[in-house]
Amino acid sequence: MLVKFVLNGVNKEVNVKPGDYLLDTLRSIGVKSVKKGCDGSSCGACTVLVDDKPVLSCSVLTARVNGKHVDTVETIQEEAAKLSEYFSREGADQCGFCNAAFALMVHALKKENPNPSDEEISNYLVGNLCRCTGYKSQQKAVQKYLRGE
Amino acid sequence: MKANSFVSVGSWQEAYKLLKASPKNKILGGGLWLKKGNAQVDTLIDLSRLNLNKIEDKDSFIEIGSMVTQRELEVSPIIKSFAGGVISEAVSKIMGPNFRNIATVGGSIYGKYGFSDLITVLLAFDVELQFYPAKKMSLDEYLKTPGFYDGILTHARIKKGDAKAFFKKVCITSLDYPILNVAISKAKTYKVVVGSRPLVATTLDKTMEYLNNGGTDFKKAAEIAVEELKVGDSMATKGEYRKQLAKVYVERGLEEVNK
Repeated sequence: MLVKFVLNGVNKEVNVKPGDYLLDTLRSIGVKSVKKGCDGSSCGACTVLVDDKPVLSCSVLTARVNGKHVDTVETIQEEAAKLSEYFSREGADQCGFCNAAFALMVHALKKENPNPSDEEISNYLVGNLCRCTGYKSQQKAVQKYLRGE
Repeated sequence: MKANSFVSVGSWQEAYKLLKASPKNKILGGGLWLKKGNAQVDTLIDLSRLNLNKIEDKDSFIEIGSMVTQRELEVSPIIKSFAGGVISEAVSKIMGPNFRNIATVGGSIYGKYGFSDLITVLLAFDVELQFYPAKKMSLDEYLKTPGFYDGILTHARIKKGDAKAFFKKVCITSLDYPILNVAISKAKTYKVVVGSRPLVATTLDKTMEYLNNGGTDFKKAAEIAVEELKVGDSMATKGEYRKQLAKVYVERGLEEVNK
């Protein structure tokens, strides 16, 4: 079936099977910043924005994004670059596998809640796993980034 | 998941006709469980166009469309202002917001999932389910009836009223399924609910009878709860441990709603 959506501001038409998931569709058309971690709606590495809301692309049927806007980290490059400076300063930048999804989550958090408490930051990012760090460094980086410190 | 076709229906009639056409045709909620289950589906029936994504305050009840996401439920001012925001709080502990932006209220309820936090907290209130074609059923009745009703769940309606409420999810790590969840509400009467037993949530009728007949000894109420609570073992923990947890949290919850 033909699915039309706007990917990072560009119109796309993709031929997919009815049971295909967005993660596989995006990777098949070359968007490799979207990572396949658990492929079971648990790790958060495949997060993308659909109509500005962060979702696990491994668990969204591609057919369901017909007519919608899909954004990946490529859309928020400047913001992601800035965030990654904070990440490296805090030693939160290790293998990098989870970073693109993390950046999208921080972007979405900032939009929804520009001045989150530490607890609100943790609650928002809880579904994005990182197997390198212990989350403390990321927590600090995100806190400082959002507060512009 | 394998599916032969995906149809975003434009009417109830169309959805129901498709559902009845084959046992392999399935109504899509958020689609999360369908993926995990590795299902072989003929036609996926998508209800996104049927205007079911609304939470409305209807004077005596709150009406929630079945396609409302868990995240929309969580952040809704209507839900936050009901019973101290307990439903919002319960939902907020389910995975991350990127998961809750997909999972739907209808999918969570219809599936009668044992681990469901949403079912447990809703069962602590008077909740009526609306199905298409015209059929109303209380959430309690739906859970107690074996199998799945063969209509389409369109709305859940929560009866309003001043209530104090308590919810506790016990899990080993924050992203894990609960090994037990407890919900208690106190309005004119008490409702005491335990879920993730690992079976689906149930009201504790003898405990409620004790409390609703004037019983004020919460330790005793918790003992009655443990005695009547039916639990089982699962990979995560033993039934006996679930009973010990229930005892603590039923008592604590009763204290909480009486503050």
